[in-house]
Amino acid sequence: MGEVIVVTSGKGGVGKTTTTANLGTGLASAGQKVVLVDTDIGLRNLDVVMGLENRIVYDIVDVTSGNCRLRQALIKDKRFENLYLLPAAQTKDKTAVSPEQMKVLSDELRTDFDYAIIDCPAGIEQGFKNAIAGADRAVVVTTPEMSAVRDADRIIGLLEASELSNPRLIINRIRPLMVKHGDMMDMADILDILAIELLGVVPEDESIIVSTNKGEPAVLDRGSKAGEAYRRITRRIRGEQVALMNLDIPDGLMNKFKKLLGLH
Amino acid sequence: MTRMEHIALKGTRDGLILYFDPGVEFSVVLEELTRYLRESTEFLRGASVRCFAGEKGYSDEELRALSELLGEYRVELAGWLKPEEVYAGAVVLNPKESPPWQEEGMAEGSCLFVDRTLRSGHSVQYEGNVVVLGDVNPGAEIVAGGNIVVLGTLRGVAHAGAAGDRGASVSAGHLMPTQLRIADLVARGPDEETETVGPEIARIKNGQLFVERLTGTMWRSSLR
Repeated sequence: MGEVIVVTSGKGGVGKTTTTANLGTGLASAGQKVVLVDTDIGLRNLDVVMGLENRIVYDIVDVTSGNCRLRQALIKDKRFENLYLLPAAQTKDKTAVSPEQMKVLSDELRTDFDYAIIDCPAGIEQGFKNAIAGADRAVVVTTPEMSAVRDADRIIGLLEASELSNPRLIINRIRPLMVKHGDMMDMADILDILAIELLGVVPEDESIIVSTNKGEPAVLDRGSKAGEAYRRITRRIRGEQVALMNLDIPDGLMNKFKKLLGLH
Repeated sequence: MTRMEHIALKGTRDGLILYFDPGVEFSVVLEELTRYLRESTEFLRGASVRCFAGEKGYSDEELRALSELLGEYRVELAGWLKPEEVYAGAVVLNPKESPPWQEEGMAEGSCLFVDRTLRSGHSVQYEGNVVVLGDVNPGAEIVAGGNIVVLGTLRGVAHAGAAGDRGASVSAGHLMPTQLRIADLVARGPDEETETVGPEIARIKNGQLFVERLTGTMWRSSLR
């Protein structure tokens, strides 16, 4: 029996889709059978981030409305045999799917897959209600900005009200240098306000922009810092205890030299 | 042609005609007409119109209210059209007999003309041919029973011959679709973006989707 995990945030642009793509790809690369579900009907993105846009024939609305069978709408990933995408519809809107239909769909996915990762749209309206309807667990994504943390707090409240308690938190796009200079909220500040379990911290990383444009999740890029963070998050999702990534920055030029010379 | 929900104004050779939806109450028509006249006073001032409401008859009181409203905006009610007058102008083509101007290589059937760019989320579905004077962006789709012609760049999804016509084609100034479908065949665009060479046409040849450059010589050869 698999697990349905919803990735949500309230605020837009904090990295829900990137997180969904990387979690799913990470889990698949660990041999799990995974399906990614895009519930952002009308503003779908996950297909683009996964580089699968040109393979879409049927979508989630076709499935829930009985236009096609689930199997027909699932798109197999380019890289992993055991990774699938159920894309959102682009020409419809959020009301095309109901929370009840999502529950039925989630039940079906739970029997066929080890993990179903649901990419939730921004906002707290119908799209959000649809996305969380069939989920067993929730992952809340935020960035170290007051506005994003405010929205994350609201989302956590709504999740708890919907009996999706104990959501876990991913702090995305943190910039260690800014934190060090006191210009950015640090982990402790955020956890102090939200008071939920931390699932991971992902550093700001330009390679994410490249990988998103290329349709290749960063989790597969051994050289990407964000990719490393997502690899660790993936292992935590599977129940392993993994230390947080070291985001400290070296003190200055001297240290870099020492490192180069092997003195450090 | 100015169109609202239950009224329509159409200019014909024989003058302006106001069509009323025979399926709704007079009050609805009157309210919509009031709104329309208020917004376009200048356009209709001094004009004379004839009205048509299908088989529906209005009471004397309603007719009086209508001419009063029109008079208020200096529009003359020149009379009512009978159904025979309206439908007489319509040409009914005999589908078995091709029209005299039909030549080999000419596609018949109705055509939808879209004079704007179709953006993500737009969906155009039409039983005949579709011509787009603009681009079709990723996330937009066209589903046509006949052929599809995009004068700009086709980056979205195009489905020609959607009802099963394997002879349908998709052509574009720049043909770089996310996905191309003709009848029951589906082809996806390349994963890497490629440069296009100019106008191209996609159609089925020997059961496979083929893309070719659209050139002048090609037209000549196909007419011969």
